[in-house]
Amino acid sequence: MLRSASIGLALALLAGPGAVSAQTAAANPATINPASVCIRYMVDDVSAAVAFYQGKLGFRLDMQSGPYFAALTKGGVQLLLSPTKGPGGASQPMPDGRRPLPGGWNRIVLYVPDVQGDVERLRKAGVAFRNQVIAGPGGKEIRLEDPSGNPVELFPPG
Amino acid sequence: MSEPLVNVRYMVGDVQQSVDWYVGHLGFQPIGPQSPAFGAVQRGPLRLLLSGKMSSAGRAMPDGREPEPGGWNRLQLVFDDLAAEVARLRRRGVSFRNDILTGPGGSQILAEDPSGNVIELFQPSQIAFATLKAGV
Repeated sequence: MLRSASIGLALALLAGPGAVSAQTAAANPATINPASVCIRYMVDDVSAAVAFYQGKLGFRLDMQSGPYFAALTKGGVQLLLSPTKGPGGASQPMPDGRRPLPGGWNRIVLYVPDVQGDVERLRKAGVAFRNQVIAGPGGKEIRLEDPSGNPVELFPPG
Repeated sequence: MSEPLVNVRYMVGDVQQSVDWYVGHLGFQPIGPQSPAFGAVQRGPLRLLLSGKMSSAGRAMPDGREPEPGGWNRLQLVFDDLAAEVARLRRRGVSFRNDILTGPGGSQILAEDPSGNVIELFQPSQIAFATLKAGV
């Protein structure tokens, strides 16, 4: 249900504020399932990011609003991609002038059964990694980077 | 219907303080064993992993870069009445990085946890998209 909300958001970007109202799940926030999970990443180039998450990590594209927004889904998470400049709310600077940027260390964790195998596959596909596989108390972990330098963590389940 | 669990990791300064903040302000429940290095909280199908400096996720990269809280990538929590939620959180002393701003898709504001990590509170706009269904 939250997915449809975000699709509504993106379509609203396409439609602009003058669009005709209609009775839909997205038009009625009360019907949104607050239990669904949405994550927003800031990106330099929405299309390049879409190509990466679709092509390299197996996300499904829900919708894209040109260079200004895209939403993709994988395994219960909806990833919202917003550029650092554009008409969307997420692209606006802060009151103190700071601009939202890609990067940082907070990230989606993707559970993959075979971390080492996936790392080899992705390295061959030209994906950059921020570190080597490290072993902690919870298991092996590695961080890759999307084209904007945002981290995505691969972690074994269980 | 049970939904698949989604895991997100945030780097934090003080794990206990962070767990208390997410539980106290945003309706998360603490889960699993907690230590000064690591804690986890859950809200519906979202499991938020809170990793401190002493966790394996806190180790430096091979090039020396140190993981730290902050940045702009974030969880998005959806509310029916954003203004009311923001007012409630402000009364509780939660700090925000900006004020509510409205874009074409809806209204949003960025709350900050005690480590300076961002959580987006969002309310979709009442704009229809039926005319654009074909584009989905």
